[in-house]
Amino acid sequence: MNRDMDRATPPIVYVIDDDHSVRAALDDLFASVGLQVRSFGSAREFLAHPPDDAPGCLVLDIRMPGQSGLDFHRQMGDLGIRLPTVFITGHGDIAMSVEAMKNGAIEFLTKPFRDQDLLDAIQHGIEKDRARRASEAVVSELQLRWASLSAGEQEVTRLVIQGLLNKQIAASLNLSEITVKVRRGQAMRKMQAASLIELVRLIEKAGV
Amino acid sequence: MRMPLQYRRMLSLVGMVLVMAAIFVADTLTEYAVAVAVFYSVVILAAVSLLTVRAAIALACACIALTVVSFYLTPAGLYKVGLVNSGISIVAISITTWLTLKTEAAQAAAHDAQARLLRIARVTSLGGLTASIAHEVNQPLAAIVTSGNACQRWLAQDPPNMEKALQALDRILSDAHRASEIIDRVRSLTKGEKPRKSAFDLPQAVREIVDMSRGEIERHGIALETHIDDALPPVMADRVQIQQVIGNMLLNAIEAVASGPAHRKDIRISTSMPDGASVLFCIEDAGCGLSAEALDHLFDAFWTTKEGGIGLGLSISRTIVEANGGKIGAEPNASGGATFRFSVPLVKGKSA
Repeated sequence: MNRDMDRATPPIVYVIDDDHSVRAALDDLFASVGLQVRSFGSAREFLAHPPDDAPGCLVLDIRMPGQSGLDFHRQMGDLGIRLPTVFITGHGDIAMSVEAMKNGAIEFLTKPFRDQDLLDAIQHGIEKDRARRASEAVVSELQLRWASLSAGEQEVTRLVIQGLLNKQIAASLNLSEITVKVRRGQAMRKMQAASLIELVRLIEKAGV
Repeated sequence: MRMPLQYRRMLSLVGMVLVMAAIFVADTLTEYAVAVAVFYSVVILAAVSLLTVRAAIALACACIALTVVSFYLTPAGLYKVGLVNSGISIVAISITTWLTLKTEAAQAAAHDAQARLLRIARVTSLGGLTASIAHEVNQPLAAIVTSGNACQRWLAQDPPNMEKALQALDRILSDAHRASEIIDRVRSLTKGEKPRKSAFDLPQAVREIVDMSRGEIERHGIALETHIDDALPPVMADRVQIQQVIGNMLLNAIEAVASGPAHRKDIRISTSMPDGASVLFCIEDAGCGLSAEALDHLFDAFWTTKEGGIGLGLSISRTIVEANGGKIGAEPNASGGATFRFSVPLVKGKSA
């Protein structure tokens, strides 16, 4: 499991703001607390540089020429970008912030903001991204384990988790009871399940 | 391939003269009973858009003269019929000229009015302008605050990172300069253009703005009372600029009334001539009124009581009124709202 490895992966903060002064200041603020930063002048520029495979958080300006931050945020899901997002805006109203939060933003800050508010929001975003990455890593690990099962083992396992007895499985698959037992044991070992209940849980989580 | 405009114009004029000559010959050679001269009106219809008003009238006179000359030169036919037909032709030419000139004038006036409305719309939509100024100024301020925070953090490290702190300070200074440049730009904006003064009728100018704002007034359920004295002598000022001021004051009044008590949605507009030198425009609202502090700062740039406002409307208004030789003022009124007024000087020599 690479969950602990991910904890060591340095997080990256992405900034999209059309104003170069604001970008330079944010770059420096994040650098001063030891965070890695990548900043971009527009959503298009951001899309031209795919995010690294590391936990991250996006700081997104709302009011930008071309595509607004809110529009871009709505599109991110379709583009497969699941970075937690902190909105910053020069002239925010309540309706705007409600919409942003409804779309799953971490925080909505009005410029000029308190640096601690921004840093807290980003820390929260990074933790959230770590958790998402960890759970995705678990799922893909379980899927790998499932894929390592032979076709016969998978067949037996599917019936096992339905609650069928070895005898019933043997009858329905036209196998000997010994073969079912052997395949069942292999499946438990490969899935690293200590009990039948755990096996059921792991397979459910893998979503296979 | 397109011919240059002056060639096309010249060609049309030559064509016109040829057609006129042809009509003249035909009119002279045919009998009295054939009223070929009526076709002169076609020439006028075609020519008016190419000519000035004076030239068009001259052309019409020439056509009438040609009709009269052909009448005398025509050798054959009943004299009486010829007289009636020539009369009809002359009337047709005159009426065509008059109607086409009137249509042209109406089109030109519509065009002017549209251009003027566009100019007014640009400045009366101060809302949009102010929002973008607010954004412009806020960006460097946000950058300054963030750089300040970063600077603090670099200095708080052990040992302090002087190099990074100094870089942050450099950014703060340049952003501060940028903010002040933006403010300078806005200030020059509020100084505005030099007034293009002309004599005009203030009551009429007021009516146009009131009509433009009708929709907004009705949307808020406001009762508008107007006491516009149409008999006032003309004033000398930049008509569009003065209309911008009126529009701004009217919008302010609408906003004040809309946010005030629901049972008193009144605005009262009046024009009058308190002395022999100027006309006074006055707008009273029953809105939220003016505090003592507001009265002191009302016309200051960047001073506002409106949420999301930036405090430029009245400041620009004052600049405009003063540049046009008038005075602007405000005071609380008996109904708890505010009264705004400004004066515009009369055309010299027209004072009563």
